[in-house]
Amino acid sequence: MNALPTIAFALILASAALQALFLLRPSRREDRASSRLLLAAAASLLAWSVGRSLEIGFPALTGTFESLAFYALALCLVCFAYRVQRALPFLPPVQFGATIVAASLLAIASSPIAPKQALPPIPALRSGWLALHVAFSFVGEAFFALSFAAALGCLAAKDESRRLAYDRLTYGAIAVGYPIFTAGALVFGAIWAQRAWGTWWSWDPKETWALVTWLVYTFYLHLRFVRRRGDRLAAIVAVVGFLCTVFTFFGVNYLLPGLHSY
Amino acid sequence: MQKLLRFFTSMRLAIALIALLAAGSALATAIPQGLGEADYLARYGRLLGAVLVQAGMDRYFGSLLFIGPAFLFFANLAACSASRFARELRKKSRRRHGADILHFGLMLLVVGSVLSFSGRREGSVRLAPGESAELPDGRILRLERFEYLSYEDGRPRDWISSVSVLKDGEAQIEGYALRVNHPLKLGKLSLYQASHSAEAALLVRDAAGKESLLARGQELESGGSRLFLMTPDDGAGKAVFRLEGPEGSGAPRVLRAAPGESAGPFALLAIRSLERSGIQAVADPGYALVVAALLVICAGTFLAFIQKLGDTKP
Repeated sequence: MNALPTIAFALILASAALQALFLLRPSRREDRASSRLLLAAAASLLAWSVGRSLEIGFPALTGTFESLAFYALALCLVCFAYRVQRALPFLPPVQFGATIVAASLLAIASSPIAPKQALPPIPALRSGWLALHVAFSFVGEAFFALSFAAALGCLAAKDESRRLAYDRLTYGAIAVGYPIFTAGALVFGAIWAQRAWGTWWSWDPKETWALVTWLVYTFYLHLRFVRRRGDRLAAIVAVVGFLCTVFTFFGVNYLLPGLHSY
Repeated sequence: MQKLLRFFTSMRLAIALIALLAAGSALATAIPQGLGEADYLARYGRLLGAVLVQAGMDRYFGSLLFIGPAFLFFANLAACSASRFARELRKKSRRRHGADILHFGLMLLVVGSVLSFSGRREGSVRLAPGESAELPDGRILRLERFEYLSYEDGRPRDWISSVSVLKDGEAQIEGYALRVNHPLKLGKLSLYQASHSAEAALLVRDAAGKESLLARGQELESGGSRLFLMTPDDGAGKAVFRLEGPEGSGAPRVLRAAPGESAGPFALLAIRSLERSGIQAVADPGYALVVAALLVICAGTFLAFIQKLGDTKP
């Protein structure tokens, strides 16, 4: 079972390589295999996550490795869903960017900074609210990762129509991720803290950075009311928003001591 | 008046305030909060340290730097929401109230948070099994039993305090399993399993053959004699206590004795570990409002999203 995340990593890399091939050598044939590889990677991570949950007797979301695996799983599913949906234009570079983020997550998970032992959670972490808090936060962040790739595309795009397509996708991904992230990071997190320690909010650095992330995406959503479509500033804010999620997850742990264990 | 209303209903003001709150909050996490002035001067130098303290960056989330923009944001949010709500009501079809509900939830959250932070009262007790404490409303909290469960590797698995609540000697709640993430709500008061500690205690048998576990500072009386425990273990395996004999038997004496020895009518049996449960009591006047606000925020964000899904253009 321990090989499953490695298999998932290999599948994601294979998908990224295939996507790169199609990006570099555009052909008339449609690339369907890369998103299927991502779906297979998600299935592999899901199987590992279920197995780990059974092993520790709690949803496997209470350690760095487990949460990174879940984040990568959510992102692979989001990429697959993006490939099969019809409401937004499919832009291969965006899927490629998000795939690279998913591969990076698993690469970090395999590094020494993410302990891999199966440890059942300590009392404060044994809460259904915690499971909801972490799961919703990462599903929301998976959409933000897609929006990050789209925003980079928007910034790099030379022609107007392409920039508008990237902008539309950036907005769509943030519009979906925002309510999920709001519920997970802020609402369920506050309820869990209240149940565990009797306080809704402690201004712990991790909490504060989750709030900063939320404010940045709130800023983005409101900015779109006053700026024209395809605006570079909105794309920059979307990039900053994703960098905030990265800092909240990794940076805070190593630079700002606080109450959160990961 | 029109100008003022325009100012408060401005989307640009909302955007500027959101940016200000985000930037200020991010900056505040880079500066340690709540230290003494001397610490800031030592850490950042005299000039910058003094500027940070004077500006309120040492207690950013309680300072005007944060509260000022937050208050302005609240006013802006209220004005924008009222204006937006009225605009939506005037529409004949395709009304979009998700954002209104979300904004209303945020305002409710601000009010609830202010109530919660300003009116919150908390206190804690450390009880050993059999001990009691009086709650602020006069009821008695008694710890019946305490269990510390651990995993095989020694990490804590659960702390379970079995507690009873008594009023006028009558049990209102009996044997409630108070655990982390499983608080006990008693009207406006909530009890939380907050901590656990273990301390050395002296097992003593009195003249009647009754055994008691004495912690530091506790007293035991038997046959007119009194034993007051100063420390169960002086580091050399001996207990230090004050022994007071029956009246007329002389002045109290401070003695040292090891388990297995006797002192007056008391037999010192052993040094044991006494587990204590740390229980926290919290009264939060903003509780109901914050819960309601969080529900409204969730409903508002999801409604806004679902309504947006129906739109053809983002």
